[in-house]
Amino acid sequence: MTLIRFKASQEQDVDLSRTYDAVVVGSGAAGGMAAHVLTSQGMQVLLLEAGKKIPIEQELRSMEWPYDHPRRGEFPPGDHALRYNEYTVRQPPYAKGSAFKHVFSYVGGWGGSDYVKNILVDEKDHPYTGTRYAWVRARLLGGKTNIWGRLALRLSDYDFKGKSHDGYGEDWPISYADIQPYYDKVDTYLGISGHNENLPHLPDSLFQRPNKLTAAEVKLRKSLATMGRVLTPYRAGVTTDGVKNKYRSKCFGRGACGRRPGGCDIHAAFDSPTGLIYPAMDTGNLTLRTNSIAHEVLVDQNTGKARGISFVDAVNHRTYDAKAKVVILAASTLESARLLLLSKSRQYPNGIANSSGHVGHNFCEHVMGPGVTGMVKELVGVAPTLDDGKPGGFYVPRFRNLQDKQPGFIRGYGFEGGSGFSIFPDGAWGTPGFGGQFKKTVREHAGAFISMGGFGEVLARYENYMDLDPEVKDSWGIPVLRFHYQFGDNEKKMCEDMAVAGREMFEQAGIEVIGVDKNILTEGWSIHELGTARMGSDPKTSVLNQFQQSHDVRNLFVVDGSSHVSASCQNPTWTIMALAWRSCEHLADEFKRGSL
Amino acid sequence: MSELSRREMLQATAAALSLPLVKLPVATGQAPKKFFTPAEFAVVDELSDMIIPTDEKSVGARAAGVAAYIDARLAESFEHEPPEQWRTGLKAVEDLSHELNGKAFMESTPEQRLAVLTRMAAGESDPKTPAEKFFREIKGATVHAYYTSKVGIHDDQGYKGNVYQTGEYAGFDAT
Repeated sequence: MTLIRFKASQEQDVDLSRTYDAVVVGSGAAGGMAAHVLTSQGMQVLLLEAGKKIPIEQELRSMEWPYDHPRRGEFPPGDHALRYNEYTVRQPPYAKGSAFKHVFSYVGGWGGSDYVKNILVDEKDHPYTGTRYAWVRARLLGGKTNIWGRLALRLSDYDFKGKSHDGYGEDWPISYADIQPYYDKVDTYLGISGHNENLPHLPDSLFQRPNKLTAAEVKLRKSLATMGRVLTPYRAGVTTDGVKNKYRSKCFGRGACGRRPGGCDIHAAFDSPTGLIYPAMDTGNLTLRTNSIAHEVLVDQNTGKARGISFVDAVNHRTYDAKAKVVILAASTLESARLLLLSKSRQYPNGIANSSGHVGHNFCEHVMGPGVTGMVKELVGVAPTLDDGKPGGFYVPRFRNLQDKQPGFIRGYGFEGGSGFSIFPDGAWGTPGFGGQFKKTVREHAGAFISMGGFGEVLARYENYMDLDPEVKDSWGIPVLRFHYQFGDNEKKMCEDMAVAGREMFEQAGIEVIGVDKNILTEGWSIHELGTARMGSDPKTSVLNQFQQSHDVRNLFVVDGSSHVSASCQNPTWTIMALAWRSCEHLADEFKRGSL
Repeated sequence: MSELSRREMLQATAAALSLPLVKLPVATGQAPKKFFTPAEFAVVDELSDMIIPTDEKSVGARAAGVAAYIDARLAESFEHEPPEQWRTGLKAVEDLSHELNGKAFMESTPEQRLAVLTRMAAGESDPKTPAEKFFREIKGATVHAYYTSKVGIHDDQGYKGNVYQTGEYAGFDAT
């Protein structure tokens, strides 16, 4: 890696001669949860993370003012974040031939990019090929949970039983009743903030105290209620009342996580290291090895079972084997699929766990882009209030295709939004002119804006898939993913409706619409990739069973988002963790019974 | 603030604050000019202060050190285009000033300078001439630098956030 080098940590001195009970690949939401559940059940676990362990508090510096940073929080010279037009005009690999020293995904282009330059991967080291895709990756201990968006939502039987509802795709092999106890466990162990709404399609969590709303949001909430719709305070995977965890503080409404690409240096927002991994290490049952890039699931020639993981050390480029009785992949939807496909052997010529041919297929995610911006006239000229001291703004849950049936599309979308005063007056960019009048206009309108953007379900389709590029390799010589994926007609129709519905809701509330965005952002933009190794009861059409266990290899589990059967329109992190908890409990039971 | 909440807050910040922070040089109004010539710097300083001037609420772009910040960023630019665009743009300002006023921008009267800037801003929504294109460049940079400055955030905007809320969070309940 060409980024700042930190001293190799003592975790590198791990014992690779022994056979661990389980090896977990990936330390994000899924891998962290696997480590937590299995170590608490007494299993000896080796956790492999491809990235490094960095002093994250120093990196995030959540409260640093823009003017205390030499570039007001922006990248140093030579670092570049991909822009929307680069993703649309060009084809991957996007960093190929770039004159910049380092190239990062678009997330690095948000305010505060300098705080994520050691978190996001350098696209130069991590190419991919094929169709356009904005792939956001974070290789470090904790993965993307270090900077995730924090919106923590449950799925419902409208999602798990989507096929039963509208006939499309496949039902999940579980129902809400199966996962509900595990959502409860995740809520309690990690903390979640929100307001009960009693919606059948967006079940409530066991909430700690909610975030507050701004005056504009109260106005919209009241109006939406008359339309039978809901605006609820951002359901944040953030502990507002505190949890029993010495590595984490409760949230003090500093708002730092919302002003930047993400991150919380007091760890009130959930991240996998402080929420799951450090407590798991305290059990004495967890061994961590960072800078360990898994590239093959090793197979026992006699039994066909998984026997461990082969990995490359990111720093010294040497290859090592880790031996374990159970192998658990949690490398992220796309990286886990890549790893399965890379694991070709005599027994598994198409990649391990892939007798169905479905690994890499049925990819799904969320489509985004359309949204609306409005101005609340009565808030023009009001004195500044503290509006951004919270982990997020608001959420408008799905309202389409629940009781009704839309003519143009199936499934639904929700809106994420925000409003009010923020550290930078966004209206300044769009206010014309100059001089005293310009300055006054910016000041008076700073707290009057409200905006929201849709997140819609992308239908899982077999023909949307990823495979291995036959030629291109990453900086460690490992074949890269090649994308064969694009939005379909349902997504496009849904996006048209988002723009129309967004405008309607603002107008109904008496909010002046000052902008409607109709453009669809590049595939991948939502960072909610799912479904490349889906669960199911039929081994011919699915990769995993309901416990995220390979149909083909009983001691191989894939506990990340790749197991999801459909994308829903709700953000996936909380479901990833609830499912992983459920599966790993099952795994530990089976392990103790000796049936793996 | 109660003692309990103060203690909680101190515990919360301990992790962040006990670590040695990397000391970085900070650009201020007194930072040495690095890219602009003294003459160019004077024009940027003046134009930025005309775009965001001092008013009854707060001081303007000059006092916020906007030109020095822009200068520092251009001086270290990795790409060739931005510095070249600024040099070309400043030349366009001088050309326009000679066209309208028959003399250099800084030698013009305040009214004459205003005439130049007004002409530059005339095509803001669809800039065509080099001077019109440069208006968008310098306005964007001024807006960014001013509203991320101490003056912009605190004095002008009166920003209330980036603080520890130890009791109730500010705002309204969802009822």
